[in-house]
Amino acid sequence: MFIVDCDCHNYWCSATVLEPYMDGLFKDMFVRGERTGPRGAFPHGHRPWFHPEGFARHDVNPIEEDDNYLIMKEKHLDKYNIDVAILTGDEPIEASTLANPYYANALCKAYNDYMIDYWLPKDDRFWGSIVVAPQDPHLAAAEIRRVGSHPRIVQVLVSHGAARPYGDPFYHPIYEACAEMGLPFAMHLGGQGGINSTPIGAGPSTFFWETHAILPQTAMTHMASLIANGVFEKWPSLKVVVIECGVAWVPSVLWRLDANYKALRKETPWLKRLPSEYFKDHFRFSTQPLEQPKNIQHLWATLEAMDGENTLMFASDYPHWDYDDVNKLHVPPAWREKIFGLNALDVYTRLPRPAAQAAE
Amino acid sequence: MTTKHFACKADEVPQDAAKIVTVSNMPIGVFKLEDGYHALLNICPHKGAALCEGPVCGTTKQTDSTEFVYDRAGEIVRCAWHGWEFDIRSGEFLVDPSVKTRRFDVSVEGSDLFVHI
Repeated sequence: MFIVDCDCHNYWCSATVLEPYMDGLFKDMFVRGERTGPRGAFPHGHRPWFHPEGFARHDVNPIEEDDNYLIMKEKHLDKYNIDVAILTGDEPIEASTLANPYYANALCKAYNDYMIDYWLPKDDRFWGSIVVAPQDPHLAAAEIRRVGSHPRIVQVLVSHGAARPYGDPFYHPIYEACAEMGLPFAMHLGGQGGINSTPIGAGPSTFFWETHAILPQTAMTHMASLIANGVFEKWPSLKVVVIECGVAWVPSVLWRLDANYKALRKETPWLKRLPSEYFKDHFRFSTQPLEQPKNIQHLWATLEAMDGENTLMFASDYPHWDYDDVNKLHVPPAWREKIFGLNALDVYTRLPRPAAQAAE
Repeated sequence: MTTKHFACKADEVPQDAAKIVTVSNMPIGVFKLEDGYHALLNICPHKGAALCEGPVCGTTKQTDSTEFVYDRAGEIVRCAWHGWEFDIRSGEFLVDPSVKTRRFDVSVEGSDLFVHI
């Protein structure tokens, strides 16, 4: 089976790997300026929740920078016969939490250059995500145009924590650039701090595990906002990938959106279809962490209600604590080939189709 | 084969709302538009609410931008409960025309208004 891992984290031991890719004012800030943690920490506004055990699996313990790749190769890529790994970075999406959009953009640029320079050549299975800082959409758009034509770049990536819902016209320059470069717009769970002060409705919850379980609520906001604001009427080719935000909530939100649209379509006269129809054509959700009810039929009925056969894409979230193993992904058997790889090929159009597929 | 039933006096139908009548045991809303009288079954195909007792109004025209063009003033009735918009002349739901409430022909003889069922 052809396997695309849509969320494979290329870790570093220290953010100092970015230093060679920075210059001038922002390099000085990066080297000498205050940051959240000791030297080697990536500057960001931190969350009010600390993971009690740290994010990474405890059997992944790199000492040198090159260990990050070697361990990933051994314990993930080779072990599970991953054909394509979409690199999603790790800390860089937290640039979205910084109030200074120029510094945030400089950090993203440095990361993108480092990723293209250091990670992509390491393995033929690697394909990259451009990380942008959405707090200045014009700078983000310029960065998408700067590196977006690289042949091994397959998407634009931001954190799902944001200062406002992603459908807001404020962000539209980003989608203009994505559409121009033919790249999907992806949001990954994260960025719950700093200027992104409302990741949880009603205010911050108490414990890490509790919070992590309800963080998808921010993704609900983004999904509704992108549809309601007509982003897919303005850019009919745009795909949005939602990573690590859960999936079982999707049908219920779509049902609510459709019901309200039927009553109050006049508020958004630019829409021409039901919200759920925009969803099916434009949204793709990564599976990890796939919900695990006691009765798997409850999950499968829900996945069917969101056309999961066509809207889900496998992701492992290597090497995080809630990693999903290729062999333990409980999706309907008839959908496996699509979810494990074929759906991703339709979204990430720069990926070469495997020989068996190309022949068809 | 339709039968003509007396519904109300024509001058009882207001300009900006329906006159609700019961004809042949059916609740019906009679509307007065610029081109004459129209009648719809006062039962919403959505959840059975009193469709014709909602506001008679216009709505936004479908556009390709964030422009709000108010259109069809007085030609739309919004169901009294959930606000689904129906074309008064055809009884069709604007979002999905395959969903519609029953419409009836109307005739006026002198001051009497008849609904054809």
